[in-house]
Amino acid sequence: MIIKLERVKLQTRKSEEAINITPVVEEIVAKSGVHDGLVNVMNTHTSAGLLVTEGIPCLEEDILTHFSRLFPEDEDYHHRRYLDYDGRLGFNADAHLKSVVGGISCCFPIERGKVVRGSRQTIYFMEYDGPLERTYVVQVLGE
Amino acid sequence: MIDFHTHPVLIQELAKKYPDYERSSRQVFQIGNNFQPLETFFLQMDVAGITRAVLLPIDCRRARKLGVSSNEQVAELCDKSSRFIGFASVDPLRKGAAKELQNAIEKLGLSGLKLDPALQDFPLDAPRGFEVYEAAEALGIPAVVHTGMSWAPETPLERCHPLTWEHPVRRFPKLNFIFAHFGWPWVWDAIAMSLKYPNVYLDTSCLYYDSPKEFFQFVFSKQVPSTLIERSLRNKIVFGSNYPRVEIKNMVHAVKSLPLTEGCLGKIFVENAERLLARSGPEKKPAPRRR
Repeated sequence: MIIKLERVKLQTRKSEEAINITPVVEEIVAKSGVHDGLVNVMNTHTSAGLLVTEGIPCLEEDILTHFSRLFPEDEDYHHRRYLDYDGRLGFNADAHLKSVVGGISCCFPIERGKVVRGSRQTIYFMEYDGPLERTYVVQVLGE
Repeated sequence: MIDFHTHPVLIQELAKKYPDYERSSRQVFQIGNNFQPLETFFLQMDVAGITRAVLLPIDCRRARKLGVSSNEQVAELCDKSSRFIGFASVDPLRKGAAKELQNAIEKLGLSGLKLDPALQDFPLDAPRGFEVYEAAEALGIPAVVHTGMSWAPETPLERCHPLTWEHPVRRFPKLNFIFAHFGWPWVWDAIAMSLKYPNVYLDTSCLYYDSPKEFFQFVFSKQVPSTLIERSLRNKIVFGSNYPRVEIKNMVHAVKSLPLTEGCLGKIFVENAERLLARSGPEKKPAPRRR
């Protein structure tokens, strides 16, 4: 049984953006030596997300636009208060809620050393409160 | 656009290089966010439309055992990018503080003075403090001074009141004081000082509850009328974000959400800061018209 975990740093460059991380995940799987198993990808933040959808710019834009419609920046959020453990105010509830709804992880099977995914399925790191240096983890399990 | 109030307390490169840097950010400045590469700082400026940012250290080593970034660290960051404008901080109660300030300006190339009587724990009537103000005045640099509530632990509110600065402000009329955080919650006191004294400016880095936009809408429409800014203080306010306690973009949006003219916003975001950084001394009152 092989279990490998890799932490990947990612510098986001905008307030909100969808970044295709599929090639990174596939490369980690290819290097892992796992022939058959699973790969789990997880974003380690609560104001960013990770999701799977068709990899085209119009959908990237639609997801971000409609998440913002669901959770507008100017809505009334309880999170807008001083967070003593952080030494600052929390006013990014919209980003947290987008992360909750969009999810933070995905899992794919591995077959003969390759990630099994639909031809249009693309793995996205979703920035909802950037720009920031972010981290996601890729864990490969199998034989 | 210039951000007159940022603190370089979450820079990954400095955290790796200086052993006490992380402890100071966590325990003295008390901020819990992740350390970020310097590139994030520039990107935060970019998305907010900010071209240059003033970096403020706080020399509170005597009072808190650790400083909140040092003059040397600020100078190091300024060497990496012309987008940074470094200020120096000295402890007014330490012997040689005035000379130290002079060195920071003339040798390290820093451009202003930062003082925080609450975090640095010094009374404003300390004679050595006056030596520092005198040196700053002679150097022709502006001084960003903490006023208003401080989030840093163990900082007494009585050291944060804008009126406590009246004596130095009167004594050193050629030294421009920028009252940080608009003096909140003593906004009217800070405003009175700025209306009365040509050498008192205010920065916008106030955020103590709600979102930046909500807070600004309340403070600058209900607490004080926005017309006061537009008509009477347009030449006396500079934009400051207090990053990384707040993302710069959110503070920019908040200021822009106020019912102010483009001309007034131009002064707040650019012109007033440029004038202060030009080492020109206090704003000269125009000569009265002859009738």
